[in-house]
Amino acid sequence: MRTLLKNGRILDPSQELDMIGNVLIEGDQVIEVGDTSTDDIDETYDCTGFWITPGLVDLHTHLREPGDTHKETIITGTQAAAAGGYTTICTMPNTNPVLDNPALIDFILDRAASPEAGGIFVAPVGALTVGMEGKHLADLAAMKEAGIVAASDEQFPIQDSLVMTKAMQTCLQLDLPIMAHCEDTSLTRGGAMNEGAVSAMLGLKGIPRAAEEIAVMRNCILSLNTDCRLHVMRVSTWGAVAMIRQAKYLGAPVTCEVNPMHFTFTDEAIGEFQTQFKTLPPLRTRIDMDSLYEALQDGTIDVIASDHSPHAAHETAVPFDEAPFGATGLESAVGVTLTMLTHRGILSPLETIRKMSTKPAEILGMDAGTLEPGGTPVAAVTVIDPNCEWVYDRKKTFSKSKNSPFHGMTLRGKTMLTFCGGEIYRDARFEERRYTISE
Amino acid sequence: MTRNLLGIRHLDVETIQNLISLGRTFKAKVTSGEKIEPMSDQVVGLLFFENSTRTRVSFEQAAFYLGLKCSNFAAAGSSISKGETLRDTILTLRHERLNGLVMRHRSSGSAQLAAGYFGGPVINAGDGSHEHPTQALGDALTIVERKGTLDGLVVAIVGDVEHSRVARSNAWLLSKMGAEVRFVGPRTMLPSHVSMLPGTLYHEMPAGLEGADVVMALRLQRERMGEGMVSSIDEFTRNYQVNREKLRFAKPDCLVMHPGPINRGIELDDISADGDHSVIHQQIENGIFVRMAALHWAFGGGAIKQAETKKSGKKVKA
Repeated sequence: MRTLLKNGRILDPSQELDMIGNVLIEGDQVIEVGDTSTDDIDETYDCTGFWITPGLVDLHTHLREPGDTHKETIITGTQAAAAGGYTTICTMPNTNPVLDNPALIDFILDRAASPEAGGIFVAPVGALTVGMEGKHLADLAAMKEAGIVAASDEQFPIQDSLVMTKAMQTCLQLDLPIMAHCEDTSLTRGGAMNEGAVSAMLGLKGIPRAAEEIAVMRNCILSLNTDCRLHVMRVSTWGAVAMIRQAKYLGAPVTCEVNPMHFTFTDEAIGEFQTQFKTLPPLRTRIDMDSLYEALQDGTIDVIASDHSPHAAHETAVPFDEAPFGATGLESAVGVTLTMLTHRGILSPLETIRKMSTKPAEILGMDAGTLEPGGTPVAAVTVIDPNCEWVYDRKKTFSKSKNSPFHGMTLRGKTMLTFCGGEIYRDARFEERRYTISE
Repeated sequence: MTRNLLGIRHLDVETIQNLISLGRTFKAKVTSGEKIEPMSDQVVGLLFFENSTRTRVSFEQAAFYLGLKCSNFAAAGSSISKGETLRDTILTLRHERLNGLVMRHRSSGSAQLAAGYFGGPVINAGDGSHEHPTQALGDALTIVERKGTLDGLVVAIVGDVEHSRVARSNAWLLSKMGAEVRFVGPRTMLPSHVSMLPGTLYHEMPAGLEGADVVMALRLQRERMGEGMVSSIDEFTRNYQVNREKLRFAKPDCLVMHPGPINRGIELDDISADGDHSVIHQQIENGIFVRMAALHWAFGGGAIKQAETKKSGKKVKA
């Protein structure tokens, strides 16, 4: 079986490629990129005007399994990822029970390999401490052997700086990056949204920027001291961005990501207590959003991550302060990122794909994020129509959760085809560009 | 047509005026013993998830004068303690055929949520730190009775503004009606960002109270002392208590108000609470009449009698 992705704009940051050409897939491997042979083709996709990119890589997904399968399962979550253009996703350990031992890592990998799953690579992230309680380090070495690609205590970040230091020393030795949600929880208890003019008006308890910035600063300092790789999750304030920029300048092995919600909305989007806009860290203000654009441009922000955080409908149909943090993101990330960043000239197409594929793969040290033949275990390729205008409809998503702040938004840019060892997603709009007769 | 009264923030000046004058009309009728046409066959649910004595009694009295039947529902001992969600509770009450709902809940925005599921008229009797519209209406009626107007008055709201729904509803109402609103208190108790609230911050009593026509003290919620809001009650009392000494900064004929319950000796001393300036008892009484107005309005009643003249024959039947 030979599939030809023909005449597309090839964007491969791993090879600094931005050219019009073809990608030829034979069986489950990419065999040629650019000026390819066109003989003996079984299936041709006319990609004129479309982007052909390495399969997208998401550093931040919640699959909710085990324990919270009413929100999402590995099967529904990986299907959503495939529809979003992702071929590799990291799944977070804040499940029930917490992913803090190798048996659970085996369970995740088994489930992800099942035939009903989306057919993508699931890279588990292990908990840093037992039960994510911030006290005793989990058996990170055994989990690494079982297949974790990073360690994180997710939304229950380690408060004790000595425990964090030990965690960093351990992860340095194991060559694991630490993914840190940065929050000084003594400042955020009971907080529901950004502390500012909107929270004052709505009478909701605020989450100050300082809570994020104190933790970012501490973690950057510890990373500088220990030399452990630190990945700051979902950065949201101008101060946090400034500190990460400074830490990088000082030579700390620090990277960071942004959630598309944070470069799309400010806290004013919450309007009359709309819980789909409740996320962690909270939506901030215009100044913060502008600093995120700047940091995306100058490379301070390395990665755009979906922070796909599915919740059930009954959990979000509650008063704002009782609602859980987070919303879905896998199926909206491409459309939102292209609409908010690429089409507005904030990121070039190549930089967009770098932040959604090549760079996250590099942080994980995984063979992903490239179109180079043999560069990935199996062909991982995504085709994106950058100009497709569509309205995001939460009811038409694969995720079990329909909680999205992007519902009803007109987006420009959509995943048309996801290939991961075989075709795992094809948009109906792409059908007319598919030819099965050999040329 | 039924209406929701969820907050003052979204009300226009005309509606506020109508509600205040409707409250005045009801007051005249009740105090003169004049018959009020009963809103029979209607049942209003009083749904209180937070403890409340005065507001609940006030609504019960208002309903009684209007001939409305009340159905009381307290969170303790109800399905809430069995884990029912607010949404399901509201849907249940709707299908119990209640015609309207008065709700108090600890969460800001809960009244909005309830209105979405209930459909019929919902009156917010206090949602978290967000709004308490009927308290503000009663306070406004009290001020109007004494000062003749709200326009141009200087009102100082003193104390824990950050957590106060009374402060927010009053600030919206008074500023919409042309008064100048000042939030007075220590930095630990005032919101640090007020660009979206209609008030100016003052951290010192002399400046905050200077030239004030109304001084409104808020209840110091002692359960919040654990959150490190003030270093001691003594410090708060010394610096921010509304008392004879502090009232010298305000106008000689200023009014002293308090939403209750009072921590006597903390936010108010005996002289300010019981003296000539105090209109605290009128606030309580007027609370009943504006709640009558709110119920009447929310259930779709049009203007009545003397309030009727302003609305050009536009009558809406319940």
